[in-house]
Amino acid sequence: MINEILDEGALQALKNVAFDQSKDIDGTFLAADDRVVQSRSISDDLEILPVEAALEKYQWLRKKLFSLVPIDKDEYVKRVAANEKKLGYFIRVKEGKNIFFPIQTCYLINNNNFTQMTHNIVICEKNSQLHLISGCTTNAHITKGTHLGVTEYFINEGALLTTTMIHSWGSEVEVYPRSGAQIGKNAKFISNYIALTKVKKIQMNPAAYIYSGGLAEFYSVVYAPKGSQLDLGSQAFLQGDGATANIVSRSVSNGGDIIIRGQITGNEAGARGSMSCNGLMLDKNSQIHAIPELVANDPNLDLSHEASVGMISRETLAYLMASGINEEDARGLVIEGFLDLKVPGLPDYLQRQIDDMIKKCRASTAI
Amino acid sequence: MDRTILDISSLFVTVEEKPILKGLDLHINEAEVHILFGPNGSGKSTLLSSLMQLPGYSIQSGEIKFKDQIINELKTDEIAKMGIGLSFQHPPAIHGVTLSKFLEKINQADDLENQVKELALEDFLYRDLNTGFSGGELKRAEILKLYAQNPDLVLIDEPESGVDLENIAIIAKAINKILQYDKPCKERKKSALIITHTGHILDYVEADIGHIIIDGKIVCSGNPRTLMHAIKQNGYSSLTTKGKDHDK
Repeated sequence: MINEILDEGALQALKNVAFDQSKDIDGTFLAADDRVVQSRSISDDLEILPVEAALEKYQWLRKKLFSLVPIDKDEYVKRVAANEKKLGYFIRVKEGKNIFFPIQTCYLINNNNFTQMTHNIVICEKNSQLHLISGCTTNAHITKGTHLGVTEYFINEGALLTTTMIHSWGSEVEVYPRSGAQIGKNAKFISNYIALTKVKKIQMNPAAYIYSGGLAEFYSVVYAPKGSQLDLGSQAFLQGDGATANIVSRSVSNGGDIIIRGQITGNEAGARGSMSCNGLMLDKNSQIHAIPELVANDPNLDLSHEASVGMISRETLAYLMASGINEEDARGLVIEGFLDLKVPGLPDYLQRQIDDMIKKCRASTAI
Repeated sequence: MDRTILDISSLFVTVEEKPILKGLDLHINEAEVHILFGPNGSGKSTLLSSLMQLPGYSIQSGEIKFKDQIINELKTDEIAKMGIGLSFQHPPAIHGVTLSKFLEKINQADDLENQVKELALEDFLYRDLNTGFSGGELKRAEILKLYAQNPDLVLIDEPESGVDLENIAIIAKAINKILQYDKPCKERKKSALIITHTGHILDYVEADIGHIIIDGKIVCSGNPRTLMHAIKQNGYSSLTTKGKDHDK
């Protein structure tokens, strides 16, 4: 069906963000421009609907809209709220159910200069488990466009949600995702983000509100070639005893501009947070600005951060070359290692998929 | 007839414009193991770094021939590919590159797995290279690297420094394996230049010739054990006055 609706350029773009229906999956959602192409769940324990349909079906859902990402947050959220045609997915896992295989979602900009506006709602009911793989991309023939996206994640008590998002946009696309996550008591939220291709601008700073015993982890791997401007961050608000946040970001600039933000705010005693922001600059025209922030509103918190930005050291290159590796390969080895994102606790098959995605992106951009 | 593998003549090297090697001559034949003694700052490590053309070491004049080819102008990786391997005294920590990945990239040996076991590095294969390794672990990893590279000339900078006796024995056993001591004498082809401060390595590795380097020049050569004994008895200063070919 998808093959009949989308052209070769679009299908190629889907592959680049790992939207692959030949793999084991429990559901999919695919939208091209402002049209839902596919929305289906294979499991009875899982509901996947276009958000418009879900709003008609569930009156209570209206209260959740913009509860984690306020409408007045900025002009982009306002535009999404004002958009009459609601495009987006609603995904709900039923209480106590473990959806083993991942759900694939994908947003495709299929026409030049299209402005895509989306609003997604994900609900993991008590003690449920869900893995999302989300791709965002443009038709291989498209270079320009804008994507404004609001996503709200509700992870209830004891639930687990992992999201792995890969962005592979056209070179002149501007992207402004806005997302918020509510992580309930003893719930877990693991967010992985990969963006390794040229894009005009991506600006996002997702927020997680973590309650007692809850855990939020943000991992990101990004690459900015010349002309790319990335302003990426993560915010974690520790709202209860034992709430934990870990933010790990690896950024490589090859002539691009990167701002890496990270903010952990501890509001209740007994919460913990750590942040590790590392930037690798490949040439003198690169720019990386790391802004790690810790905010403690209680004396009984354990918050820490580390940040480093620099080029591959002369000593490292010399050491590798002294083992017979030429300079280009030595640089490649270090960059590959730097981008090698290992997420603790992620199921093996998901980790393999992340490894594959990074490998594929690196090959396509010759990193 | 002995085949020359390394021939250094009248080598002058500066580091940050300061002269360190001042007309050094050294000749190593195939299958010979040479030991280099010398006080701190005499130029021992500078010699090994200069041979590999590491950054910061500037050859002002002189000639380095390896397998009859002048290597003064070659890049570090080209020298390594010709068959020289260097075990660093202070290898850098490289984040993101695992020991396993690194070995995969450089391996020329057939039975690397066995050496990983012999050097007790199985648990380190998936750790970042030289990151958080203890002194002994760093040395063992460096020797494993040499084994994987399988060079014809190994340069080892203080294999025993910061290492306990148990680790020295493990490291020395691996060095002997690299130097083909498990083979009959006539079949051995590998050569070595080993820097030692303490001389402990001489208890484990059979060395052929020792040299003493002082102020950037080799001032004395001879039986390595005799030289070590003399250094322990009287210090380096006593040897400089006796001239070359001590106890030969």
